Amino acid sequence: SRSRSKSKRTSGFDMAPPASAMLAGASAVAGQITGANPAIPGMF
Amino acid sequence: CSRLHNRPSISPTLLLSNMYQRPDMITPGVDPQGQPLDPRKIQQHFEDFYEDIFTELAKFGEIESLNVCDNLADHMIGNVYVQFREEDQAAKALHALHGRFYNARPIIADFSPVTDFREATCR
Repeated sequence: SRSRSKSKRTSGFDMAPPASAMLAGASAVAGQITGANPAIPGMF
Repeated sequence: CSRLHNRPSISPTLLLSNMYQRPDMITPGVDPQGQPLDPRKIQQHFEDFYEDIFTELAKFGEIESLNVCDNLADHMIGNVYVQFREEDQAAKALHALHGRFYNARPIIADFSPVTDFREATCR
C-alpha cells in the first residue's frame, strides 16, 4: 500500500498577490487616469 | 491567423488565458535565477499545475478534456482549455473563477469556441 500523502502540496488557487503589490498596482492605475486628464482639455 | 477570435456568449469550453507559467519560461532549461533545472522538476511542476486545475475545475462539472499549452513561444502561451460536458457547467465555472487568483496572478477566463481539439486550428 502507498502511504504517500496527497495533501502535502497546497494548491496555487486563491493565492493572492501580497497586499503591497496590490496597492502599488492600484496607485499606478490612478496615476494613469490623472495623467490622461490634462490631455483632454488640450485637444479642444 | 488574425488572433481576433470570436468569444461565444455560451460554450462548454473555457479558455483560461496564459495561466500556466513554466519554471524555465525566461530561458529554456534554466530557472529565473540562472540555475539549470532538472527536466524531471519541470515535468513535476507541470503535473502539479495540471492536478491543481483539474481538482478545482472538476468541482463544477464533468471535464471532457483539459488541455494546457506548455509552450515557450508568445502565441497562446500557458493557455488552458477546459471542455465540460455541458454548457451550464462551463458557465458555473466561469462565474466561480471570476476575480480569483492562481499563484498570485489573476485568472482570466472566458468562453472559447473550441469544441473539438483535433480540429482546433486558426486560419
